[in-house]
Amino acid sequence: METFLLKNIDSPTSAEIDEYVRAGGYRNLAKALGMTPKEVLEEVKKSGLRGRGGAGFPTSMKWSFAIADPKFPKYLLCNADEGEPGTFKDRPILEKNPHLLIEGMVISGYTLGAEYGYIYLRGEYPGARDILDRAIAQAYEKDWLGDNIAGKGVTFHLAVHQGAGAYICGEETALIESIEGKKGQPRNKPPFPVNVGAWGMPTIVNNVETLSNMPLIMEIGGEAYARIGSADCPGPKLFSVSGHVTRPGVYELPMGTSLRDIIYTHAGGMKNGKKLKAVIPGGISTPVLPESGIDCAMDFVAMPKAGSMLGSGAVIVMDESVCMVRVAHRALKFFEHESCGKCVPCREGTDWLRKSLERIEKGEGKEGDIELLTDVSGIMSGRTFCPLGDGAAGVVLGMLKHFRHEFQEHIKERKCTYS
Amino acid sequence: MITLTINDKEVSLDRPMSVLEAARQAGIKIPTLCYHEALKPYGGCRLCVVEVERMPKLQTACTLTAADGMVVRTESEMIAKVRRGILEFLLINHPLDCPYCDKAGECELQDLVNKYGATAGRYREEKRKVPESHKDHILTRNMERCIVCTRCVRMCNDVQGASAIAMMGRGGHTRMEPFSSASFNCEYCGNCLSVCPVGAILSRLYIHSFRPWQVDTEVETVCSYCGVGCSMVVQVRDDLIKRVVPRMGLGLNRGLLCSRGRFGYEYIHSQDRLKTPLVRRNGKLEQATWSEALRHVAERLTGIKKADGGSAIAGIASARCTNEENYVFQKFMRMACGSNNIDSLSRAGFAAAQKYLEELLGQGITANMIEGLKNSEVILVAGGDPGTVNPVLGLAIREAFRRGAKVAVVGHARGLERFTSIRLTPPLFREEEFLEELLAGVSRVRGLRGEKLDVDRGIRAISDAYPGISGLEGFDELKHALLDSPSTSIVLGSGLVQHSRGHRAIFAVAGLTYLLEARLYLLAERPNEQGLIDMGCVPEMLPGGRPLNNHDYTRKFEEAWGGPIPEEDGMTLMEIMEGAKEGRVRALYIMGDNPLVNLPGGPLIEEALKALDFLVVQDMFLTETGRMADVVLPAVGWSEKSGTYTNIERRIQLLRKAVGNSSGMEDWKIINDVSGMMGYPMAYEDAESIMDEIARVSPLYRDLTYREIGKGNSLWPYHGEPLRGEIHELPAAVNGTGSYTANFYLAPEKVLFHSGTTSRHSQALMRICPEPVLRIGPAAADTLGVREGDRVKVSTSSGSGEFPLSIDRTISDNRVLLSNNFEGSGVLRLMSYRLDPVTRAPGIEGCEATITRL
Amino acid sequence: MFNDTVVKEIDDIKSRYPDRKSALLPSLYVAQREFGWLSSEAMESVARALNVPESVVRGTATFYAMFRHAPAGRHVIQLCTNVSCMILGAEQLVDFLKSKYGLTPGGTTEDGRFSLVIMECIGACGTAPAMLVDTDFHDNLSEKRIEEILEKYK
Ligand SMILES: Cc1cc2nc3c(=O)[nH]c(=O)nc-3n(C[C@H](O)[C@H](O)[C@H](O)COP(=O)(O)O)c2cc1C
Ligand code: SF4
Ligand code: FES
Repeated sequence: METFLLKNIDSPTSAEIDEYVRAGGYRNLAKALGMTPKEVLEEVKKSGLRGRGGAGFPTSMKWSFAIADPKFPKYLLCNADEGEPGTFKDRPILEKNPHLLIEGMVISGYTLGAEYGYIYLRGEYPGARDILDRAIAQAYEKDWLGDNIAGKGVTFHLAVHQGAGAYICGEETALIESIEGKKGQPRNKPPFPVNVGAWGMPTIVNNVETLSNMPLIMEIGGEAYARIGSADCPGPKLFSVSGHVTRPGVYELPMGTSLRDIIYTHAGGMKNGKKLKAVIPGGISTPVLPESGIDCAMDFVAMPKAGSMLGSGAVIVMDESVCMVRVAHRALKFFEHESCGKCVPCREGTDWLRKSLERIEKGEGKEGDIELLTDVSGIMSGRTFCPLGDGAAGVVLGMLKHFRHEFQEHIKERKCTYS
Repeated sequence: MITLTINDKEVSLDRPMSVLEAARQAGIKIPTLCYHEALKPYGGCRLCVVEVERMPKLQTACTLTAADGMVVRTESEMIAKVRRGILEFLLINHPLDCPYCDKAGECELQDLVNKYGATAGRYREEKRKVPESHKDHILTRNMERCIVCTRCVRMCNDVQGASAIAMMGRGGHTRMEPFSSASFNCEYCGNCLSVCPVGAILSRLYIHSFRPWQVDTEVETVCSYCGVGCSMVVQVRDDLIKRVVPRMGLGLNRGLLCSRGRFGYEYIHSQDRLKTPLVRRNGKLEQATWSEALRHVAERLTGIKKADGGSAIAGIASARCTNEENYVFQKFMRMACGSNNIDSLSRAGFAAAQKYLEELLGQGITANMIEGLKNSEVILVAGGDPGTVNPVLGLAIREAFRRGAKVAVVGHARGLERFTSIRLTPPLFREEEFLEELLAGVSRVRGLRGEKLDVDRGIRAISDAYPGISGLEGFDELKHALLDSPSTSIVLGSGLVQHSRGHRAIFAVAGLTYLLEARLYLLAERPNEQGLIDMGCVPEMLPGGRPLNNHDYTRKFEEAWGGPIPEEDGMTLMEIMEGAKEGRVRALYIMGDNPLVNLPGGPLIEEALKALDFLVVQDMFLTETGRMADVVLPAVGWSEKSGTYTNIERRIQLLRKAVGNSSGMEDWKIINDVSGMMGYPMAYEDAESIMDEIARVSPLYRDLTYREIGKGNSLWPYHGEPLRGEIHELPAAVNGTGSYTANFYLAPEKVLFHSGTTSRHSQALMRICPEPVLRIGPAAADTLGVREGDRVKVSTSSGSGEFPLSIDRTISDNRVLLSNNFEGSGVLRLMSYRLDPVTRAPGIEGCEATITRL
Repeated sequence: MFNDTVVKEIDDIKSRYPDRKSALLPSLYVAQREFGWLSSEAMESVARALNVPESVVRGTATFYAMFRHAPAGRHVIQLCTNVSCMILGAEQLVDFLKSKYGLTPGGTTEDGRFSLVIMECIGACGTAPAMLVDTDFHDNLSEKRIEEILEKYK
């Protein structure tokens, strides 16, 4: 398939503005500025674009709420926190195609009536920081950013704000707290960020990939865009594939490509001819699927029906050598480490789950442990302040659903049968 | 109107609120932990989950706004299961050390587990271990017990504004810590202590000494420290005060206290309390019986009165004593001793300003509710730090600032450091010129009001003398803010009153108040500065602020008091002292004050007291002044007596007796007895009977009863009639300025943790702030080449002293500050004074000092 | 305390936001660069530069994993052990760093050359296992490659 988001990224100078412009860059912004914001919004609406950050919320709807709020200034925040383990899809855009993101953000800012944008970049991407800073400086120089963009009197300012190692800051209200200089702990909703967000003003948070789709929508029009991939959540989608596959990496494929295709056709199938055992399809917060579950379309609508979620489209492929208790334990170590501590079920639940899983993995499991894990996860599910705790519980429940026997074995044999 | 259904009950709300509050209003209790009525909702504990029709997930009632037509269930099997689960979660890392924990019995977690919890936990893993921290003198921190509800931090940041503590770390490793991670080094308001639902923050003052259910009595009373008059509850066991706690929603402080109020009660049980009367025999103070001592006083006073007339006797009343005591005191001075020489140390600040302001703008001009500060758009603070002098009033200013009000500070106010929008740094000791300039600037735009012609005249004179513009930082911004403000408050502290040109600052403040129709607040260091004046403890006024020279008023009092009131005008405080030195005043009766320490001009005061023929001191402790007395009479203090205080809002509040084990006597009772022996019997039965008389004779407290006062809303003028303004003296407008070019000037520092003689007998406050330090700005420290902690010698023309030095970056001029609260080292002793010609307050500005490193 | 150049740098950062408090995270990075770690003095300097209470600075700083609260070695190795890296052998690499360099998670080598921090996913899962040394990415790690790479950091 012809790529758009990842177009030209193999060139060593793909991040330079001249090269980006030579390949047709900023033309779509010029086109958008020739339309009214309302017309651009209409195109986004027609495109059916859904947020690529994980929740799949219809982008045009979120935008309309913010536009309807009479308060000014409005802020556009790009979520480049990419914290979901297994996910590395935004990184090629940030490092290799930064002008695509900048162009997308200016189009979005113009549509929203937002004159200030910030890219909330995870601290773990120091290289991307330099690249983005340079790209932003270039865009200012060429008047694609500033007070008089393309001579049209349009204003949009952009700066990078670097996170410092907190997964929760990917959650949009935590991200806003963090950009305001606080701990990244989620806020109560309502009010929603579209009304009361950063610095108390209407704020739109969108993922890097979401915003990078704007130039494409401008280029081919909303209707044509809507014909790419799945009908109810169209467009190209970046999948990051890692683990035991021959060709791990980021793939730009139509939304709805089947999980099996992603693994076997695009990522080259299983490494060293080993047997596939399990796949985490959308980043570590999404429930695991067994080999039998991979014939599903990867999109926001089909995945829940298949017992998991699309999440960030981060496919982690595990072969038969992998111990599922160990994976669960490692995942819970992550959630425990990243729980922000605000709400009781997440803070204490992840602690409890992690400690129990560690014990089971070490061969110190006891009768009743599986019921306990189920119960603790059950209390957490749906009762935490934000989806992080839900995710943690979902991971354990998913593991127990498909790989209960491995847990039972660990408890009975009092050891791990895999290592 | 919002109507919703909670547990089949229809609930109507007259304002928007959360489902939790709506339920409470309807008498339906929903369990909570992180919620606290004084704080913003947080939604962290998840205990308050409820079912709401058409919402798929359980909702937290504390964060959910009640909406019209909502159908809510607060109890169900599912909800019970979740609550049980949450409590189990909370207990997995919470130690089960209730038998050992001081909080047991009033622990919210314990209570909730009893009601909603599972019988046995299933947690078999290791608990988090965090050692208990005893590094702080006052508060222990047990972070194993902490349930991370963040109530303490939200209190400290969002309400107290101290921002001294924070939740450190993340997730399960979150703990509350002070910045230094060791001692709190904060404002020690203890408001974190009040809101902690478990035993994570505890007071060391009563650690392991009692359990909440062992309290014998609980007495609602008001604080004895400052003029705010916070309500508090004293808890007593075995006739000992175990602790002082606020009660949420109670009083004008609504559950907040400051360090003095919360931790400063120990002086009542101090070993240093006077145990018997003392009488000087052969030059030495010796123990005496009450009857010996009282008779001695009566005889000596009678003798002096006979020999030299009443005017040879003078009295100093106290702003720490109650209205009843002060009323009896002035009546005794006037009627039994025949003297109008009655004043108090309040003359050096509050009373001086209060009187002049009332003369200019009319009685009651300072009677404004503290609540009103919170709603102001512009607040001008001059001459003091509300955050240390009147901490809870300071909180109102901080709240207004957070809400977006502009706060402007003339000079130095440490407690408002992070709450100042306009910083004004007029030249040192010439603040009155700055205020006059401001008044001129404002009147240029506003014109005159034409209501008080004399004030208008004064303002015009100032406008003629000043251009109304100033190059000084913040001047224009403040001027415009004031002119645009729909609601302005002005807070005046004693710093500008204790100035030989203090009346000019006061006039300027009065002028601004008048032109801008602002609310005016006078900071009051002591609890009853206003009441003292209302009771007539001033030389020229009778109770109710009625001038002595008006026969209509005098006659009424003479009728009520059964005798003639002396006609000649009395002396003010410093005049009394000078009179004593010159032999015109032969006897001085001091009730509850310590002028030797609390007045400037130390050598002169000492000389004056020495020159007296007879000195009586009534006090709780043997003070510096007491040691010079001929007779010392042990008094009882706050919580040992009943009575009333009138706070800076002019709210009359009840002080209630809680303990009674000391050997002192109530001040009114001592005077009552002496008066009887002098042939003017008063025969009051108790404090209430005195108030009954006050309510009969005072035109301001008409019909006031203890029952009414107990309701908390007895505000000035209680059924009474204020007097219209009567101008006496206008400032001599722009009568010259001072020039201040010395390297250092000594000035008194108000300390948050101390106040007067009582606080130095409170161990907790002494532990928080144990010794006097000399505070100096960073630039001055550089010039001197001194560092934090160095010992230095300070000398002035009146004396010298040695102190450790501390560098304070909030001081930007060449002032060096020293507190007046420690025995034998007060700053005022080192200062001389010049009287303000109008207010008669001692001006202490411009005290040159030299500092040398030791 | 910060020198004038740093104060200016922080003033610059402040100007990027509508509210000075937003400059907290970037200023903490600056302080970490200047002081090597977030000592009390470093945090106090930030508090002073932004006029934010010290407790807020410390509370915020301890929330984020990338701020160091103890002195670190000259080079900081941030090794990911999250699932994608773990299943490709990251945990063996942790053992290797220990046996070869005496480096334990959260610790520093005796010679003060390296500190090791275990990371949650650094976004290099496609080329796992991976680590950051200071600000450089290194991936497709093996014991041998780690040895080669670390040679370059003195
Ligand atoms: C715990 C948590 C972590 C998240 N992390 C990220 C992230 O790293 N990147 C991201 O784009 N969205 C993340 N999200 C989703 C955001 O909250 C938000 O939905 C997204 O930024 C919206 O952008 P979109 O509409 O373009 O998807 C996270 C959500 C949660 C609950
Ligand atoms: S005592 Fe007061 S200032 Fe100190 S931590 Fe508690 S609330 Fe904050
Ligand atoms: S009281 Fe509602 S979540 Fe704690």
